[in-house]
Amino acid sequence: MESRPTEHHGSVPGIATTATRGVPASSTEFLLRLDNISKEFPGVRALSNVHFDLRRGEVHAVCGENGAGKSTLMKIISGVYQPSGGTIIYKGEERQFSSTRESEAAGIAIIHQELNLVPHLSVAENIYLAREPRRGFLVDRKKLRADAKRCLDRLGVDINPDAPVRGLSVAQCQMVEIAKALSLDAEVLIMDEPTSSLTEQETRLLFKVIRDLKASGVGIVYISHRLDEMAEIVDRVTVLRDGRYIATDDFGATSIDAIVSKMVGRSLEEKFPDRTSVPSDEIILSAEGLSRAGVFRNVSFTLRRGEILGFAGLMGAGRTEVARAIFGADPLDAGKVTLHGQALSITSPRDAIAAGIAYLSEDRKAQGLAIKMPVDVNMTLANMEAVSNRFGLIDFGKHATAAKEYIDLLNIRTPSIKQPVRLLSGGNQQKIIIGKWLFRKSKVLFFDEPTRGIDVGAKLAIYRIMDELAAEGIGVVLISSELPEILGMTDRVAVFHQGRITGVLETKKTDQEEIMRYASGYGRRDGERHG
Amino acid sequence: MAEITEVSKQKSVSLSDRQKDIIQKFAALGSLFVLIAVFSFTSSAFFTIDNGMTVALQVTSIALLGIGATCVIITGGIDLSVGSVLALSGVVAALAVKDYGTPVWLGMMIGILTGAICGWINGFVVTRLRLPPFIATLGMMLIARGVALQITGARAVSGLGESFGELGNGSFLRVVNIGEDGFPTVVFPGIPYPVILMVVIAVAVSFMLNRSVLGRHIYAVGSNPDAARLSGVNVSRIVSFTYVLSGTLAGLTGCVLMSRLVTAQPNEGVMYELDAIASAVIGGTSLIGGVGTISGTAIGAFVIGILRNGLNMNGVSAFTQQIIIGLVILVTVWIDQLRNRR
Repeated sequence: MESRPTEHHGSVPGIATTATRGVPASSTEFLLRLDNISKEFPGVRALSNVHFDLRRGEVHAVCGENGAGKSTLMKIISGVYQPSGGTIIYKGEERQFSSTRESEAAGIAIIHQELNLVPHLSVAENIYLAREPRRGFLVDRKKLRADAKRCLDRLGVDINPDAPVRGLSVAQCQMVEIAKALSLDAEVLIMDEPTSSLTEQETRLLFKVIRDLKASGVGIVYISHRLDEMAEIVDRVTVLRDGRYIATDDFGATSIDAIVSKMVGRSLEEKFPDRTSVPSDEIILSAEGLSRAGVFRNVSFTLRRGEILGFAGLMGAGRTEVARAIFGADPLDAGKVTLHGQALSITSPRDAIAAGIAYLSEDRKAQGLAIKMPVDVNMTLANMEAVSNRFGLIDFGKHATAAKEYIDLLNIRTPSIKQPVRLLSGGNQQKIIIGKWLFRKSKVLFFDEPTRGIDVGAKLAIYRIMDELAAEGIGVVLISSELPEILGMTDRVAVFHQGRITGVLETKKTDQEEIMRYASGYGRRDGERHG
Repeated sequence: MAEITEVSKQKSVSLSDRQKDIIQKFAALGSLFVLIAVFSFTSSAFFTIDNGMTVALQVTSIALLGIGATCVIITGGIDLSVGSVLALSGVVAALAVKDYGTPVWLGMMIGILTGAICGWINGFVVTRLRLPPFIATLGMMLIARGVALQITGARAVSGLGESFGELGNGSFLRVVNIGEDGFPTVVFPGIPYPVILMVVIAVAVSFMLNRSVLGRHIYAVGSNPDAARLSGVNVSRIVSFTYVLSGTLAGLTGCVLMSRLVTAQPNEGVMYELDAIASAVIGGTSLIGGVGTISGTAIGAFVIGILRNGLNMNGVSAFTQQIIIGLVILVTVWIDQLRNRR
């Protein structure tokens, strides 16, 4: 397709205004400024007194661990959430956006990590979705196509506006989203993990587009876990931690190390029980060369008796996927799993459960519990053989005894064994799932984000249970995105980055910074480009 | 403090839950009694043993199909094929007896087996080919009907002999006095075999659902298929089983119906699947899956059967009957939604 780089400016509605704005003159004024922003959800304070500002023509990165409040902040800027306190000043005026429609109309566009395009419509139709140029009752297809083409040409990308979106690559979809944002007269563009599924080459193209947008005066809020890439495009960086504002620095005046230590903080005053179990040399579970195309490759680790092994890494690094594959919930392309010296051949969760492997899913409600059914039913579901006779009839006496035993053992608060589990708190629900696997006499338990959405007291109880299980000789793997949890509970930690284990560290000899470096693919200190 | 309020909140929620459950059960059963009372009042012939047996007999086909439908719907599926499958099973049984001279019991077993095979195919298409249950059983609905019409040349199969009618027309404990004039007088009409069959199967399936591991797995699959799979439940096998059960019961219903007519009609049972689904839904089975009981479905089947019978006796036209039954379905499902909305 021909491209006409000289015709970009002036012809596309909206882009004309941003393109002609003088960058140097306005670069010091704030395009967007947030002061003392707080956001409370029932029982949780997601943000407290956060500051953020954005100038025209700059790329401002927002960094923080999972759960630091980045997404909440972006949702407040884009009008999905309304702040509980604080002020938003946009183009010199105090504003309050009550919906994304309002923020879009004002010129703030967001490109989500999961792209929001309609696969069966064409590129042009997606760009102008719900805003199609009309001629009477009909869509003016000629104008639609021409406008879309101008938007795409402006980005210098070669995408056919008539092509259906379902045939495009992720990178191309992203370009379509950017074109859509520009067609909305966007002056502020929020990009959430834009490079997370791009190849090196596609990332180059994206960065080129970002630089062009900067030059035309668009302010870009850039969220990414990939600190290594930021040096190329980022001007300033703001760090959030636990919903609090930590600092804003010029990117050139700081280092990756400094950013990471601000992200993780120094405080380790979390409440963790003292570990009582002592790892022995006896290996319970070993995995060798596990691979699944496009998800993880060549993953190997061992789990020893009495040990809690951590799986650390960013979301999507392959931790959950490896656990699910070992459990037989997803297929494995290659690799060998050995339990107590015996090679396993697992093709379904049933095989894994029969072998003594259990997996506590990160999403309790969607995958862990039959939420409408009572406590006792959920508790015994994985081990019905133990509470039924050889004719497959349930022995309700044994059934109730088993449920009560684990309710007492795990101190589960429920009015009765017949209480539907959806009426229990998150902590008690998690304990029921643990009880289910203990009743099954599992030998290895994978805990996937076991304390997510659970209050502090219940967290401590779950940690104690994990420690006791390890002390009894059960192999425990803790998958967690919370580094304090990994450091507080594990003996060793396997760090995942993009589907590989980049390092297995002794928990006592490591710290959050080192784990974060491995998790972002940096590895050892001498492998850095920054600092 | 926070804990105390939380606990008390849980208690109040569970209490109103139970109340809602009772209201639901009571609503269906209560409306059944109201119907009986109203019809007894408006028609003197309604509340008699004879008519009671007639209603029971009429209800058997809805109830048998409804029992199968309940199990399928609990897993989150749907079976639209049962009306056609019962026709196919009935004509297969009749053709086996008439054209191949098999004994009646063997012919009927072949008919029931035909139903089971149709159900197995439904299960295969749903679990292995992963088609939505609605589509899979819609296909079977057309195929089974087509085969039934094809193998009979769209003609009724008659001349099956008296023994073919035994299952549908015979009854247990029938007491007949032969008077002095030689004419028999019926002292007690007896319990029709189909009614006995219905009761036995309802009790057996109810027992299976409530007391067996299989039943537990059926509910678990419907409640949360992912959680069930991750707990080691063989989800495909459980789902397939419910379709086989539904098909088998459709086959049995087909044999009973054809036996009652002593003629096999390839056009029998059109739209019966909707009666079956309606009886399950009126009885509180949730189309989302995970919820449903056989007792509820039995009540639902009787609500439909009594409505038809009572309205007939009061001379209400078939068209008006359809309107009324349609409204009953809407109202009961609306009540069900109210119960589940929170």
